[in-house]
Amino acid sequence: MTARQAIGLVARREIRERLRSRVFLYSTVLLLALVGGSTALTAALHPQKTYRVAVVAPVQTGLDAALQRAAKPFSANVKLQVLPTEATARAQLKAKTTDAVVILASDRILFRANVDTKLAAIADTAVRAVRRHLPPAPELTPATLEQPKAKSSDAEVLAAMLGASMLLATLAVYGQWVLTGVVEEKANRVVEVILATIRPRHLLAGKVIGIGLLGLAQVALVGGLAAILLATGVFDAPASLGWSIALIIPWFALGFALYAVAYATVGAIASRTQDANSAGLPVTYTLVAAFFLGYVALTVDANSTLANLLTIFPLTAPLVLPARSALVGVPLWEQALAVATVVVSIYGLIRLAGRIYATALLRSGPPLDIRAALRLAREH
Amino acid sequence: MLTLSDLRKRFGPVQALDSCSFSVERGRMLGFLGPNGAGKTTTMRAIFGLVELDEGEVRWDDRPVGLEERLRFGYMPEERGLYPRMPVEEQVVYFARLHGMTAAAARAGASRWLERLGLADRASAKLEELSHGNQQRAQLAAALVHEPDLLVLDEPFAGLDPVAVETLAELLRAEAARGAAVLFSSHQLELVDHICEEVAIIDHGRVVATGDINTLKRRSAQRQITVQLVGAPAQWSPHAAGVELVQRRNGDLRLAVSADVDPSEVLAEAEHTAQVVGFSYGPPTLSELFLELVAK
Repeated sequence: MTARQAIGLVARREIRERLRSRVFLYSTVLLLALVGGSTALTAALHPQKTYRVAVVAPVQTGLDAALQRAAKPFSANVKLQVLPTEATARAQLKAKTTDAVVILASDRILFRANVDTKLAAIADTAVRAVRRHLPPAPELTPATLEQPKAKSSDAEVLAAMLGASMLLATLAVYGQWVLTGVVEEKANRVVEVILATIRPRHLLAGKVIGIGLLGLAQVALVGGLAAILLATGVFDAPASLGWSIALIIPWFALGFALYAVAYATVGAIASRTQDANSAGLPVTYTLVAAFFLGYVALTVDANSTLANLLTIFPLTAPLVLPARSALVGVPLWEQALAVATVVVSIYGLIRLAGRIYATALLRSGPPLDIRAALRLAREH
Repeated sequence: MLTLSDLRKRFGPVQALDSCSFSVERGRMLGFLGPNGAGKTTTMRAIFGLVELDEGEVRWDDRPVGLEERLRFGYMPEERGLYPRMPVEEQVVYFARLHGMTAAAARAGASRWLERLGLADRASAKLEELSHGNQQRAQLAAALVHEPDLLVLDEPFAGLDPVAVETLAELLRAEAARGAAVLFSSHQLELVDHICEEVAIIDHGRVVATGDINTLKRRSAQRQITVQLVGAPAQWSPHAAGVELVQRRNGDLRLAVSADVDPSEVLAEAEHTAQVVGFSYGPPTLSELFLELVAK
């Protein structure tokens, strides 16, 4: 039997077995409902946004009506205020009594610190309609009164938190599936019949790939839906956040490969099903520690040296990188470096853990401590 | 033919296998006997590469045994050896595929074996929902579905009722008749005596006797005599040298005698004392042979 056939058989069995329990199905449906439901929640919390727009006189007739028409598709209202001079308008903008100032004379729309793309689009459409111009040339050039603020918006913080939490939860849950699967096989000796026909590393690979594919399917469905909703502007959040949320899909795959191999190895070292939960604790603690370390570092300063280090450190990268990308963005070279360190770590862990797994799996009796397991692995 | 030559394995302070050698031919059934902890399971696991041997070799048809050869072996470990929450038929199909069968052949083989073992109506039940006896049948189906050339079973008769024992014995005989080499361990010596032609007896990791059961019995330094007496004194037993009383029940005496004792002398002494209504002389039973060999 070729390696691919062996791995394929094991992976397919894992998928069928997990699908049979329906936990996967129900949790996926629940998560999708949560993401979908949150759009309804957003709509309920922001029934109709009203933008306060100031225009510097003179104003063409029909601008007010055009603004209302343009705002309709965005479920927004516009409250128009005509001011005599640009200076008064700027003062109002600074005093936060207006959201934007339209200066028709110089074809500009002025915001305080950050450009609101939605309002810019509404104003642009309205002005074009009044002037009876044709697209695509923009009517208004957006500008800001102050330097754009680097501070992350609420939506970005929320997306980072939810993305990282989902990664933490799925890595831990699917990792535990691998762990209990390994311990069960060892405890009831199925593993002996299996290892009489295929190699331990193929059993390990099949298990991790089978369960990993299920996890990936769930993350892709839930994360994908969230990303699409963000990108299409259903949420009141920058569309670019969709990309950051989509990042959790490949990072689940990378993080899972790393942590599932670790879970499988501690599972092989444990002997009885009762030991499964305590056996997994070191891995789960590492995962949770990586999450909180990342959380603290990103909350204090997402651009700090620590935050940068955690982005490329293999144990924290899967949780930190997507979150940091949502908050402040991560340059492509840093993303590539993080992928590289994680892939190298996965390779190293598989080489070491694969050997521990193979030897410990067939050993019965009291559980091994980690030093004894390492010694066994060295001997073989 | 399966050949184990000089297997040695040490687990820490315990020499689990110490010069373990025997062989099983195709078409033959060998009972593997030994006290608890003698090394039976370790030997069986060694055949499947589940124990890394310190020394010695396992060969099949004079080739070293590797994964390729093991695809043609069937193994039933003493403990369950199946997935508790997986439906029976799916499970048998899975093991058939692990042994290299195509999907179609695996499905056909699984339904044929479940039918033959009387599990066809439980095919979609989870293993854990079956009775102990049916679980064992499912396990058997998983070990047999690929029609192995070598069948190794660890304590297959343990915990079975007499009817199930007879069915399983019949099945193993049929497997041997098909041409498979069958090796199974057991503590039920009378059963082994009844269904096997050959045994291997292991003690402290060392095979102390192997071969044809009748030859081993004849080669034994012991013989057994049963005398049925009427009217003998209550505590009477023969005085001849080399004769030992094993059991006395309802006037019947069972005696263990060394092979050089002339049975006619024992008969003469008995006739001198009482009326002899029955007398038999012969080789020891397998149990007696076993006790003789492992007590040494």
